[in-house]
Amino acid sequence: MSRVASPCIDHCCLDDERGWCLGCYRTIEEITGWSESSDAERRAVLQRIAVRRTQSIRHVAPDNPRS
Amino acid sequence: MLPPTIRVLERGWLSSNNILCLEAEGATLVDSGYLTHAAQTLALVQQALAGRPLTRLINTHAHSDHIGGNATLRREYACRISVPAGSAHQLSAWDEDALLISSGHQQGEPFDFDDTLADGDVFMMGGLRWQALAAPGHEMHALVYYAPAEKILISGDALWEDGFGIMFPALMGDEMGLPATRATLDKLAKLDVRAVIPGHGPAFADHAGALARAYQRLAAFEASPERMARNALKALFIFSLLETRRMPRAEVGPHFSRVPVLREISTRFFHQGPAAVAERIVAELVAAGVLREEAGDLVPRGVHTQ
Repeated sequence: MSRVASPCIDHCCLDDERGWCLGCYRTIEEITGWSESSDAERRAVLQRIAVRRTQSIRHVAPDNPRS
Repeated sequence: MLPPTIRVLERGWLSSNNILCLEAEGATLVDSGYLTHAAQTLALVQQALAGRPLTRLINTHAHSDHIGGNATLRREYACRISVPAGSAHQLSAWDEDALLISSGHQQGEPFDFDDTLADGDVFMMGGLRWQALAAPGHEMHALVYYAPAEKILISGDALWEDGFGIMFPALMGDEMGLPATRATLDKLAKLDVRAVIPGHGPAFADHAGALARAYQRLAAFEASPERMARNALKALFIFSLLETRRMPRAEVGPHFSRVPVLREISTRFFHQGPAAVAERIVAELVAAGVLREEAGDLVPRGVHTQ
């Protein structure tokens, strides 16, 4: 039985503004609920964090001409 | 696999797992993660408590990744803190060398504690009865916690799903280190366990399989101390990089020469100096894909470089 692996990368720092961990992009609820979540629920979390990641990349410094 | 009163907050490698055992009017937490993650540990514990106070905090062993949040949680909740009896002196004196903090390039924060737990103690936690069992090897004063009625083992770093924690005592010259590790595995093998909650990694059911892998690993180390040392140096170096997040490749040699634990293991087990050992270790980690090199800096795999 293989379980979906935790996305933790050991950078456990909460982004208060956005409400998720700067390292893994999960919310506090998603982290505390992880070990009790089914694989389907975990994949749903991973999909949400993928979206949050792309949203974060777009928020580069306003004076960056490439953004 | 676990009763609803036992909540495993799975963390990573820099922070240990935090195991929250809920009671009617309070809760007990086992292990509090690393110092630099304490704010997040607090937020996680707060959420999982669901309005209860944290009444007690206990530790499996006094390593920085397991006790780093103790002071923060104490300040927030004024919880009772119980530490392994064998570590009490080091902790009240805050001996950073013995705790592998200054000697191991790690961080920690001293904390007040109320009492100790020792081999043979029986106590209630999360509505279950637990036994404290001595589990020396990775750390000589470590305890594991076993609930016989539910057959749950909180194993700290004495037993993981695949392996166990770095064998510091053996590596630092304690000749009881290896025999103690074997004796601990023998003791854990005799327990009737259906769920293991390790210090790192998810909880798992296959106690026998984990033990088989642990015995294999131990046998390989008993046969080749050099292999045990190489393994430990890699793990220690990665641990440092998880915290600092990058290091110029040129600094690795000086780092191994400067950090007492790295220097001592390098010197004790290899004929080359620490800087040469460092280069070899880094080459192996890069070849294995655990580290990558970016503009002269070493970065652990998975670390985002933004």
